[in-house]
Amino acid sequence: MPADRPPFEDLYREYLGRIYAYVRAQVGTSADAEDIAAQVFMNAYQAYERFEPRNTTPAAWLFRIARNATLDHFRAQGRRDRLRRTIEHQPSPEGDPASQAEERIQYRALLAHVAGLPERQRDAISLRHSGLQFDEVGKLMGCSEDAAKMLYHRAVRALKDAVRKAEA
Amino acid sequence: MSEPEEELEIQALQRELDDAFATTRPRPPFEDELWLRMQSSRPATSRLRDAIAGFLQGIREVPAVPAAAVAALLVVVIGAGTVALSGLGRGGGGASTATQYNGSAPNQLTAGTFGRLPTPVFNSSSKSATAPNVTAGGQADLGAAQLTWTGKLDLTISSAPVFRYREPTTKDADQFASALGAVLRDRPSGFFGMYTATDYTLKVRRTVQSPPSSPAYFIFASATMPPVEAAGAGPQDLADIFLAQHSLSPQWRYTVSVDSTNDPVRVRYERQFDAPGYGTAYLVDPNGNRYGLEVDLSANRPVVVSGLLPTNLDQADYKIVTSEEAIRSALASSVAAPAASGAAVPAIQLNKAELVYVLVPAGDHSFYEPAFLFSGEYQMNGQTLTKRVLVPAVDPSQRNP
Repeated sequence: MPADRPPFEDLYREYLGRIYAYVRAQVGTSADAEDIAAQVFMNAYQAYERFEPRNTTPAAWLFRIARNATLDHFRAQGRRDRLRRTIEHQPSPEGDPASQAEERIQYRALLAHVAGLPERQRDAISLRHSGLQFDEVGKLMGCSEDAAKMLYHRAVRALKDAVRKAEA
Repeated sequence: MSEPEEELEIQALQRELDDAFATTRPRPPFEDELWLRMQSSRPATSRLRDAIAGFLQGIREVPAVPAAAVAALLVVVIGAGTVALSGLGRGGGGASTATQYNGSAPNQLTAGTFGRLPTPVFNSSSKSATAPNVTAGGQADLGAAQLTWTGKLDLTISSAPVFRYREPTTKDADQFASALGAVLRDRPSGFFGMYTATDYTLKVRRTVQSPPSSPAYFIFASATMPPVEAAGAGPQDLADIFLAQHSLSPQWRYTVSVDSTNDPVRVRYERQFDAPGYGTAYLVDPNGNRYGLEVDLSANRPVVVSGLLPTNLDQADYKIVTSEEAIRSALASSVAAPAASGAAVPAIQLNKAELVYVLVPAGDHSFYEPAFLFSGEYQMNGQTLTKRVLVPAVDPSQRNP
């Protein structure tokens, strides 16, 4: 292992929470978020020998894997169907063991609004508030840093409107 | 809704998002469950190889280890590697364990452990890695100036520690308040919480992204707050007593300054960081002002206390720029000629420079990074003012652009 590549466990311990939060903001349930986060780190673990820290930061590398895994998830299930099923059949919080166990999620309603945004807006907010710089957000989303900033600010305004509408 | 109101609403929403993403975590057992699953999915030979490689890396970081000791330790690492085959514990065995602990002794990690660092932003209008922040002590920013360097900056160090903390959570704030005996009353926007005790109100705030400001607590005394009684005690003694009574004495290195020119009297505990080979370096805000903890006293009564919320710090060494590079960066804001408007451009000699630390917020982890604070006095309208210029100290190769 090259000297400048930290042990994988260090990355795992440092980023699991952030990756989980990023995924959780986009999918309907904590169970899905756990499945996707597990897939992300399984894939990263297998690929770690090929990770080249000189080319990218660990955060950008892991979030790229997470973003792809989340997109795969939506592609496989069909986002619209999945959301509808989530809304129609989501058990009450009391009846969902995963929700009960997920004690540290304090902004469920806010994240639900994030999940309801258009895909790119949702992605911009999730990546940015997961701690990535705008240039990293832009690279992951295939646009410039300025475009990422613009997209993000549009997304926050859209989120504000959604929150306000729900409160009205 | 007016534009400023809307902007405030958006800022509040952004803070909520920060908090939402920082506090949304999987159920606690998930982390270890998944790690064990990942370990068990790997071939045993590769786990043993990683254990040995991680251990050898640790040995390389210790200078002049006798060969016999290495041989003896290799025997140990083979044993450790065998243990790693069980899939339990830390398979890497390297030197970057991130166990945290409180107080003034941060956890030392290996060089560059935090990866590329975010670049300090000293001026909200500029994020350039080399753009310095130029401020005039006690006055508004004067902007353009002709700067020259006439001082001496002999650096004998080529690296300096960077400190990192995990963003405190609402739970941390609640525990802090609870330890003080304060009870949660509200969660106002921009704060983790507002708490009350018998004779004061406590507010606890997270890291502020812009302008960068450390997570902090604020104690506002109520009318029933009694004066601190101590015959013959000066302001610092009174502040020391109050802090000790409330278990708020700083757990970090500091010097004290007392400003008695006004009421209230301000007792400031200015935080310092240890920079091996250099000495101690003050924590400063984006204007170059030192900070840490402040007790404001009026008639021997503490009226406001504001301090850094305790956080656990990790530490790693990073390469820093040379003296020449730092000076060049500091002078980068200098203008060669009067401004186009024809206004006089002050010519200022910077003649002092010191290593300082600045907060660099970065989401759920933030950093205290070294920087250079250049300063020089000049006269304007009969007043003596101080010009300050802050430049990042961490080498650009170690920072995100």
